[in-house]
Amino acid sequence: MTTDIADAVPARIEDYPVSPRSRRGGLQAAQRRIGLLMLLPAAAAFAFVILYPFGQALALSLFEDTLQTITPTFIGFANFKAVLTDPEVWQSFGITIIYVGCSTLGTLVLGLGWALLLNQPFKGRGVFRALTLMPWVVPSTVSAFIWAWIFNSRFGLINGLLLELHLIDVPQAWLSTPEGAMLAVILTRIWRSIPLFMAFFLAGLQNVDTEQLDAARVDGARNFAILRDHVLPHLRPVLIVVVVLGVIGGLQDFDTIYALTGGGPVRATAVLSVEVYKTAFEQWDIGTASAIGVLWVATLLPPAFFYLRMLVKGR
Amino acid sequence: MFDLSSRTAKLVFGGVLVVIGFYLFFPIYWMITSSLKGNAELYRVIPTFFPQQFTFAHYWSAIAESKLLVYLGNSLIVSGASAAINTVLAVYAGYSFAKYRYAGRQPIMLFMLSAQMFPFGLLLISLYPVMTSLGLLDTRPGLILSYIVFALPVATYMLYSYFMQVPDELIDAARADGGGDLRIFHTIVLPISIPPIVTVFLYSFMWSWNDLLYSMTLIVSEDKRTIGPGLLLTYLNETNADWGGAMAASLLVSLPIVIAFMFLQRYFVQGVTAGAVK
Repeated sequence: MTTDIADAVPARIEDYPVSPRSRRGGLQAAQRRIGLLMLLPAAAAFAFVILYPFGQALALSLFEDTLQTITPTFIGFANFKAVLTDPEVWQSFGITIIYVGCSTLGTLVLGLGWALLLNQPFKGRGVFRALTLMPWVVPSTVSAFIWAWIFNSRFGLINGLLLELHLIDVPQAWLSTPEGAMLAVILTRIWRSIPLFMAFFLAGLQNVDTEQLDAARVDGARNFAILRDHVLPHLRPVLIVVVVLGVIGGLQDFDTIYALTGGGPVRATAVLSVEVYKTAFEQWDIGTASAIGVLWVATLLPPAFFYLRMLVKGR
Repeated sequence: MFDLSSRTAKLVFGGVLVVIGFYLFFPIYWMITSSLKGNAELYRVIPTFFPQQFTFAHYWSAIAESKLLVYLGNSLIVSGASAAINTVLAVYAGYSFAKYRYAGRQPIMLFMLSAQMFPFGLLLISLYPVMTSLGLLDTRPGLILSYIVFALPVATYMLYSYFMQVPDELIDAARADGGGDLRIFHTIVLPISIPPIVTVFLYSFMWSWNDLLYSMTLIVSEDKRTIGPGLLLTYLNETNADWGGAMAASLLVSLPIVIAFMFLQRYFVQGVTAGAVK
């Protein structure tokens, strides 16, 4: 398998290559049938667990379906009207933007820095690269536990450090304040995402032309100029992939936030995923939850659009 | 790439290494050492950097006093089964996309690739009544089926990009020898595709192993609970603050997947970045 993203993502969707043999004239219907047969199980599963539920959710957003309603009643766009005039939903949008924006930006900077570092030849680099994957592979509940313990109000590491440095006089209940809780979920998200960003950047760094770098160095270019003029421009395609995937991943994220803060204190970290979950499975207001969910899809559309355009039009 | 002979460059390099390295690795170190400290040492306002006294008490209590082993067993069954199903589905679909041509191939593929934009939480709202009406709510098969949501699109794409690199000449030669397509796939292509297949299996396994949302919602009985909600409900409630036990249990449930990754990380990173999707 290639590590080269530029190769891996086809430049144009028409270029999704197909083996020359099957393109040749005299295409056999029997072969086509085998191809479709092989696709069938996956397509059926896809329809059953993704497509059908999605369509169903779209439909449910037009119904009143709560614990009080025996059968769902069609109410048109009333759910959307209610949701869009609900300040709590707007607050949830704002929280989602802050959460996704800060965590994507933070991961971008730190992931790039870490990749540039681990791209330098030094002893033990392989070990570092392997260990870096750990925050990514530990279960989401575990990462929430670790960071909840670090931010613990009485015996947490952060309080201990800040007390030692005399920056605070008494331990702070970080997760009980809106800002502290937001900081904690963002730091946890960045921590979990750096490994994947690093992997993508490292793959992208292999595209950088070393001869060009050497030539620039002979011309007297310093490290900063090399980074700015020769390394970063080559990383542009990877940068776009990483930002789009980071935004999609951030918008999808539920587990860590739910385990770490439960969306609280009060509603301070209730991003859209948490909001939908609570409305659906704590208040059992399926219609409203579906309506919020449809708006949530709307937030996912721009990055998904960029992503598809990247595949269709090339970069 | 960079010239580190100057002092400033060395300082910047070392500084970045220490800061990001600390951020990435210290929480892991903290989980390990916290799980090994006795309660007297653990609950101090100014923590000790290195445990003064080691104890495995938290591990024994995590194993003996909670249902951790039950959760681990459930996670193993559910993640293993869903990863196996996902891998089989993705192997055939990926090969079909790579080596056959038929109407609708590109739209279907593009559609599957864009599946990331369907929010998992939204799908769950409708999966829940579906599973209820099929009698699959609070059952392992129901959860196993639902886990297809997470990994199937990316798994298919990863295998597609691998099968694209399998030379057509190989398949043509086998066809010339009179082999049927399915037979060729099973006896010639699959045996040389073990590394990407293992990667895809592990990728799917990780999604299920790490999940909290679906398991928490679709499983109600304690004896079928998986590690995500199991850990959460055991350790994170207002009355019980057993952080030593929480850290020990965290380490135990992370071990299987971390070890698997340490061995397979090279294939894995290549596979995921080649897919260029999450």
